[in-house]
Amino acid sequence: PDRKSAGNFSKRPLFQEEEFKWLLREEVHTVLKQLQDILKEASRRFTLPATGSDSQIKQENFILGSSSADQVKGVLSLQGDAVYQALNLAILFSLKVCYECDETKDISLKIPRSTQALRFSFREDKQWKMQQIQDARNHVSQALHLLNSRDESYQFKTGAEVNKLMDAVMLQLSRARNRLTTPASMTLPEVASSSLMKMFNPPLPPDVLVNFYTNRSKLCLTAYQLHALQPNSNKNFKPAGSSVFHNPGAMFEFGNQKYEVSHVHKVECVVPWLNDALVFFTIALQLCQQLKDKVSVFSSYWNYRPY
Amino acid sequence: MKGSMQLLTVWGRRSPSHTITAIMVTDDQQTIVTGSQEGQLCLWNFSSELKMSPRAFLFGHTSPITCLGKSKDFEKQPYVVSAAEDGEMCLWNVASGQCIQNTQLPYTHTVICYYYCSFRMSGGGWLLCCGQYQDVLIIDAWTLEILHTFNSSQSLDWISCMCIIHSLRIQEDTLLAVSVSGDLKVWDLSSAVKSVQERNNIYEKESKCLQCMNCQTIRFCTYTERLLLIICSDSWKVYDYCDFSLLCISFSKSGQRFAGGEILAANRLLVWTEDGQSYIYQLPDRGVFKSISALNGTPNDTVFPRLLCYMSLTTKKEKSFSHPFVMGFLNERREPFYKILFCGETHGSITLWHIPDVPVTHSDGSPRYIPVTATSALQDAFKKHRSMTDGIIDQLGGTQDRIINSGVTASVYIPHHDMVVCGYQDGKIIVAPALQAAKARLLEEHSVLSKEWLLYKSLQGHSGRVTCLLHLHSKSTNFDVSWLASGGQDSCVILWDVFTGEMIFRFALHAGLVVHMSVPPQNCRPKFHQTVCCLTSDHSIVLLNFQDKMCLMHGRPHLFPVKTIKWHPIEDFLLVGCADGSVCIWDIENGALDRHETGETAKTILSSCDDSHTVLVETVDSILAGTRSPPPQEKKQRSKYKYFAPLSCRGLSVKKCMQYVFAEHSWGPFTVLPLKIKDDDDSFHILLFDMEELLKQLLPEPKKELKPANSFHGFDALRRATRTEEKPAQTLKRNKTATSFSPLNDQVKYFVHEHLFHSDNLNASAGAGVGTTRQKNKYKNPQKLKARTLRKTDVNITTDTVKLLLSCLFPWSVNKELDEFCIENLGIFMPQCAVSFGLLSKQYYHVSLTLPGWYLVSREKAKENQMCNLISPKIVYLAEEYTSRMGSEAASLDVPKDMNIITGRETMSHLLSLVFMVSQLMNLPLINKCKSHPSWHSDSSHQNPRDDSTGKSDLKLTGFHKILLNLNNVVHNLNMEMTPLVKLASHWRDQSVEVLEAVQAMLLAEIQSIMKTLRKTSISSQTVSMVQNENAEIQELPWIEQAQQCELKHIRNIIMTSK
Repeated sequence: PDRKSAGNFSKRPLFQEEEFKWLLREEVHTVLKQLQDILKEASRRFTLPATGSDSQIKQENFILGSSSADQVKGVLSLQGDAVYQALNLAILFSLKVCYECDETKDISLKIPRSTQALRFSFREDKQWKMQQIQDARNHVSQALHLLNSRDESYQFKTGAEVNKLMDAVMLQLSRARNRLTTPASMTLPEVASSSLMKMFNPPLPPDVLVNFYTNRSKLCLTAYQLHALQPNSNKNFKPAGSSVFHNPGAMFEFGNQKYEVSHVHKVECVVPWLNDALVFFTIALQLCQQLKDKVSVFSSYWNYRPY
Repeated sequence: MKGSMQLLTVWGRRSPSHTITAIMVTDDQQTIVTGSQEGQLCLWNFSSELKMSPRAFLFGHTSPITCLGKSKDFEKQPYVVSAAEDGEMCLWNVASGQCIQNTQLPYTHTVICYYYCSFRMSGGGWLLCCGQYQDVLIIDAWTLEILHTFNSSQSLDWISCMCIIHSLRIQEDTLLAVSVSGDLKVWDLSSAVKSVQERNNIYEKESKCLQCMNCQTIRFCTYTERLLLIICSDSWKVYDYCDFSLLCISFSKSGQRFAGGEILAANRLLVWTEDGQSYIYQLPDRGVFKSISALNGTPNDTVFPRLLCYMSLTTKKEKSFSHPFVMGFLNERREPFYKILFCGETHGSITLWHIPDVPVTHSDGSPRYIPVTATSALQDAFKKHRSMTDGIIDQLGGTQDRIINSGVTASVYIPHHDMVVCGYQDGKIIVAPALQAAKARLLEEHSVLSKEWLLYKSLQGHSGRVTCLLHLHSKSTNFDVSWLASGGQDSCVILWDVFTGEMIFRFALHAGLVVHMSVPPQNCRPKFHQTVCCLTSDHSIVLLNFQDKMCLMHGRPHLFPVKTIKWHPIEDFLLVGCADGSVCIWDIENGALDRHETGETAKTILSSCDDSHTVLVETVDSILAGTRSPPPQEKKQRSKYKYFAPLSCRGLSVKKCMQYVFAEHSWGPFTVLPLKIKDDDDSFHILLFDMEELLKQLLPEPKKELKPANSFHGFDALRRATRTEEKPAQTLKRNKTATSFSPLNDQVKYFVHEHLFHSDNLNASAGAGVGTTRQKNKYKNPQKLKARTLRKTDVNITTDTVKLLLSCLFPWSVNKELDEFCIENLGIFMPQCAVSFGLLSKQYYHVSLTLPGWYLVSREKAKENQMCNLISPKIVYLAEEYTSRMGSEAASLDVPKDMNIITGRETMSHLLSLVFMVSQLMNLPLINKCKSHPSWHSDSSHQNPRDDSTGKSDLKLTGFHKILLNLNNVVHNLNMEMTPLVKLASHWRDQSVEVLEAVQAMLLAEIQSIMKTLRKTSISSQTVSMVQNENAEIQELPWIEQAQQCELKHIRNIIMTSK
């Protein structure tokens, strides 16, 4: 019913106007409510269910590279600590719940060198957060914040107003989705200098690079094994560009030393709640777009700005 | 890109959309800068009497502006930095409106703080930025490159707000920031300078969880150096800076959200909300604070802050409350020491409150209401200066009433016929010749005659507003020249004959209003040659065949707005990219949906078909695509194909359009560029004058029309010559044309080379120009009159165009006598109203357009109805400076000796070349090139034994060589005064005189000197002019003579120097 021929508006303005008023009064709020529910559900995925007492730290473990053939194995523990002092506030303003969600992880890297597995774990003294997940979560909470600004008592008066709100929400949502679906493409020197590299205890050997990202609902861990190029063998040195995944043979220069990637190991693991969140984002985006389309059918009313 | 473009703007009745998202007042307190959702910046004049008026619109960003900030010590350089949603940052010169620097980083900033510490830093200062990314970035305030970051060691998160603290007590600078998760972080700025130089990691000095969710602003009380104000959307809190203990908290009313605030005095603060309310509170005494914090840290109700005053936006604008208001506070540190609260609104208006120094309550203790002090809206300026806001052909077709109620909703310029077509709100389409329309619109002389004088046609057929127009032949030569397609709100596409005004066919799409129309690439199958692809508001795609008058395909609604349409040339598939990242592949043959893909596959499919000529519609996604201009080679290749107009003319497309205009030169010296900021805005038009092109056409070139082929040959030779200029001697032997260069020194060569013969497709464009005029004549033209005017324009249009340009540039009303002289003798006329100028920022395709009413700056107390277009009051002094500096040379200038010539091309070309030179010189970077070429003035650079013989053969020069010679003459003539001109220009540049100011001053001085010379010589040469007046038919003769004389003189020069 929301796709009507745009013609002949002027011939039946009365019904149109009534319908448009109904849309602004009723329908918009219904959609906003739905959106809020969906997004709340989505943002809940970013934090672990709080069961039992607050003081207990929740932890969720993911095993990267479960098959025996994988040469790199990692155990990632996602840690979501809802800042429990903030919970009081969160209940007061139920819609502005902003849970803290921390990602720390233990990765044991088994790189077969002389068949001895090397083990690394995360440092205790430093914090590292998965930026993609954090950004996505922040974008969702911003979208929620925008939606919360118009409660049911608020009366929308123009379609443009609805469109602007939807545009703002959609911008945040598509950002959130893009952050999860498109891992940053980095150059190898950027990988080498990233904060993740400094997070391990014992420190990673200089010929190992590790990158960690999400691609859609998958957590991916890439380990590059390097071998240093002789300083005088400059033949065909071509630094690799930025990419999500570098193939063996890619070369780069870091700290006055030229390296070549000799082996690449990639392991991944599906995170169910990331998948859920992505589905929620898609549904919410569709709802927003549908609302915009509905409003645009009546464009002749709000489009015209008489001065 | 050409630097010789001069822009004039013809605005419409309605102001362009400007939904303010950011606002700031510059440090000199004379300009308010606002940033908008649409991506433009607006500069407002701000007088000390608290009056505001919009001055200029800055185009450059393509996505919503997120924040503004100062970026230089304002006294030295009036620079402001702006950041947009897509990560683009621009550095603007607020005085001139030029974009100085721009960059695109993958970070969206929401707060920018300028930090400079003279005794610690060497560079130009830092921009501390935070936003939708972890931690704080340090960006160089001049180059806009990332220098370093402030890291946090724990609870890493986005920073939502921050402020810089200069503590006078301990002489230390500190950065305070609050993260999204509500943690307060403190970085030491003073020590950071060193760490940045050494590239050490900078971690926070302190971090404390304050649980301030949705924090909006953080402010430090400089009066007590103790209090810290943190404003969250649901409450504001005051903390003790020493131990971060909570001193005071106040919650917002339900449904209200705080947006920002400021500390007014030691115990008073100002807080404002998203819906335009603001409150001044009095804090309880310090002693009370202490007792509370000592008690248990939670304040009780008894020490609630007292509301002193409140301010609120009047309810009349309540309707438009769709976007939070943006407010700011200014505590003036200079005369007249006002405290001002300002607020930017959705509809492009600003409201001011003047806050009393000591706000008090009513005597009974109830809060006092502070009324609005001043308000100003963009639309007000458009209304007030109505004469400046007539659309380009608004005065045509219809009653006054109609004009007021309907703006131009779609517009297209047909370059080959110099016609402008406008579609209106009421469905009418008007076709008019562009130059005449512009003249009629701008100049006083023509306005009276306009209606009879101007040949226009009005086409009627749409029942709703016209939403898009497309001249098919300009996009693809497969179409008939006369075909014009229009789409309307009534979901109809109508095919018109633009010359007869006849409706050829009408398609009813039944799919919502027509958003966009485009044509398939020229290399598609002949079957689809006459096809138009329409995009409608319900996101469906319709392919119409205009030849057979049938619908080929109707791609029924896509779920999301269509972003990209690409035509797969071989298989005749239509690739449709949607806003959600999915791709639909339509089979054109049977009109069926072939595939639907999402995610990575979709991206791969879209990018697989990446040739620019296959793109029908392209809107650049805000984050993913960098909108940087393609490298030159790519551009060249692209210009082979027809470029397709962007989907909607928003800020993005302004840039795109500019790129397009500069990439292709086929548009000729005068172009009309229709633009829109938002889809439902009115169109406005930019008139582009290419001074180079004009100069080339203007200079006497009697044989050009006769021998076009030769001229091109000559041109090629010359290009070769200029290319190989590093080996001049060799070239000289081979190529005679190069001798014309030899007497010129490097600087002139640089000019000629760089600005006149630089572009490679110039050649092609000239060819195209000739080709099309011929083609034009070949086509059966139903309107003979039109055909005749077209041919006539070849002769006169250039002079007319130059006159129009000079009329608009000349500083009128400075000197009555001079005005009259211009009108009577030079044939340049007073504009109907002050003209809106446009200014191009070199190499960035950023444009600044002055708004109606801009001229009020220069003459605040002048009479309203008097025509005035002085850029600034400086002009007269500058003109004096110009005359005094150039005095001796100006006198020796070849001022034409008789009255006939003075109105003609010679003077025009002289003035235009000066305008060109001055604007070029003023645009040069701040290095004085004159110094590097001390031999600048000398004419003896090369002495070639062949010069004598070349002198003879020069007589047989082809047409093009003549242009060159004459250009040389102009340059040569100017060369006499080049040195002082260059010096003056660099002097002016040092004094930061703007380009337009320089041009106006120069025009004023030059015309003055011409007038003087003429007055002197007119008595002596009266008889001559009388005779020539009688022989009206052979008025062209002196031209040729003049040209030959110049030539002879030049040859003589060459011979002289070689001896």
